[in-house]
Amino acid sequence: MDRRKIDVALSTLLIILSVIILTNDNLVEGGAESDLSSMFLPRVVASLIIIFAATIAIQSLKTLSQGAQPEGSEVIITNGFSGIFVYIGIFIAYWLAVPYIGFLVATPFVMIAVAILLGGRNWVPIVATSIVTPLLIYYGSREFLRVFLPTWSL
Amino acid sequence: MFDNIINGFSQILAVGPILGIILGVVIGITFGAIPGISAIMAIAIILPMTFYVDPIIGITMLLAVYKSGIYGGSISAILINTPGAAASFLTAQDGHALTKAGKAGKALDMSLFASITGEMLATLVLILVAAPFSLISLQAGPIEKVFLLLFAFTVIGTMAGESIPRGLLSCCLGMLFAMVGMSSITGASRFTFGYTELMGGFTFTPMLIGILVMPEVFNVIRRRRTPHHEMMITHSPNPADNRISFKEFRSVFGTILKSSGIGTFVGALPGLGSSTAAFIAYSEAKRTSKKPDEYGKGSVEGIAAAESANNAVCGSSLIPMLTLSIPGDDVAALLMGAFLIHGLTPGPMIFFEHTETIYAIFAGFLLTDLFLLGIARAGFKFFVKMASLRRYYIFPCVTVFAFAGAFTAGQNMNDILILILFTIMGYGMRLVGLNPAVFIIGFILTPFLEQNLDQAVAIVGTEYHLFFASPFSWVFIALSAFFVISSMRMRRKAKAATLITLAKRKAA
Repeated sequence: MDRRKIDVALSTLLIILSVIILTNDNLVEGGAESDLSSMFLPRVVASLIIIFAATIAIQSLKTLSQGAQPEGSEVIITNGFSGIFVYIGIFIAYWLAVPYIGFLVATPFVMIAVAILLGGRNWVPIVATSIVTPLLIYYGSREFLRVFLPTWSL
Repeated sequence: MFDNIINGFSQILAVGPILGIILGVVIGITFGAIPGISAIMAIAIILPMTFYVDPIIGITMLLAVYKSGIYGGSISAILINTPGAAASFLTAQDGHALTKAGKAGKALDMSLFASITGEMLATLVLILVAAPFSLISLQAGPIEKVFLLLFAFTVIGTMAGESIPRGLLSCCLGMLFAMVGMSSITGASRFTFGYTELMGGFTFTPMLIGILVMPEVFNVIRRRRTPHHEMMITHSPNPADNRISFKEFRSVFGTILKSSGIGTFVGALPGLGSSTAAFIAYSEAKRTSKKPDEYGKGSVEGIAAAESANNAVCGSSLIPMLTLSIPGDDVAALLMGAFLIHGLTPGPMIFFEHTETIYAIFAGFLLTDLFLLGIARAGFKFFVKMASLRRYYIFPCVTVFAFAGAFTAGQNMNDILILILFTIMGYGMRLVGLNPAVFIIGFILTPFLEQNLDQAVAIVGTEYHLFFASPFSWVFIALSAFFVISSMRMRRKAKAATLITLAKRKAA
């Protein structure tokens, strides 16, 4: 993947967002009177973002228009990206499931899923680790940190 | 000061802090030695566990993880030529060459002794310099602090990013995210879009774990098909090859001292970090060595130079954080977050408001070196075994620790959503060349900037020229310009060197 094209798209997006910050007064609500307005610093930062994003976009556009082949860090290697998407899917499912089925029930499944994703096939140690680790974290958090991880609520 | 140090030792020599240090050292070496897990990842995962203990125990444990994690990086570098931390790249060159020659024990010993000597010297400098320097920085008012913070943003953004615009853009994005939620000055809600959950801003711990830790898990998942390397300590039949003799250590002691000095100096400057320190010290040691040809091919002196310098950064990177509230690198930024969570605001006042705690932490920092020496020497085989664990045992645990750590911060499931979103953002930032560490530093320092800017504006009123009345303002403006220009020159030189190398390869 050519990073220069992403640079141009991302810089454009950042510039649009910064222009919105610079021009929209509804992004701040309430607040007391102060020497420094609540939007002063955000607007200074937005102006700087415009400058830096534009610099990156112009540099990328320049090399793109010259027809130069992407070199070094300009190439994004996408091998193995499918695994990342699966991992994000597992994590989102984990986030959605924990409030209902609890940490102790959801975690072993997630650990086994991640282990399989990473190529694990030694079932006995994987299952054992997946059961013991959440138990240790759950009771460790409860007894030592006084943090109560979510429990079954269905 | 001497009384304070003695007092610090009396506080740290208790069961809780000692257990914290031991646990921190074991976790640090283990995590540091695992390829794909760095010291910063270990600190971010351990951080939520320290919320509920005394700051002396919690902070000392985190610092022990930091020091040991940097050293742990050299184990995988030496044994399998895979640096656990970027700063161990040079150690990998010489160390792995020694391993192949059956002298792994010698390389591991040299790395340990050099690391500990470098760390100890830098810690002594930290203790001796920080408090007196804080007295000077106490003289700075809001105007000077504004320029100091702008200087920090500029230096970190220009030195640490892939390119100057990308580094500074990373910093600006961090600043923008820090402004989400209720303004600490006016009480106005900014960028909340009606969501009350955003009023408190983004929770620091899940964001930190998401930006700095989880993208490393993504990297491991991407490389999941690469074969697993088993670590093993090779033993030579000649006992002298399996250890460092006192004579050998004495012969490189000068190099260790010089490299530690370089590491301490580089660490005290914001934005450079341990990799830079290791490279400078290694080049300097090679330049002045009697055997420069051995460098890169199994030089014990080379390991000593790189390791003492990169470990010296641990102590000295805390100098700008504790005296000026400026974290010098990503780990210091993370530790600054830890200090803040524990109710200690890094800055010159910390030496007056929390004298006992800060000197206890210093004492713990020194004591960590002794424990590191003992534990690492006694448990080389154990750490090698732990670091050899297959990735499908390690990373499911990292995932669950990250989840539990993010939840622990606010006991709120929304924090898990923040973790997921910032994980994706952190990885995306790496892909497009933005620097997540600079983002975090921008995020942490912005509230201080806004607060001091507000006070400065209140002082000067409409007479804006008063901003430039103090000589400090001009000094920091000049320093910022100097760093930007020198960074531009350094990058131009590096680019020209790369082009020449490429042209030579093409011609060949």
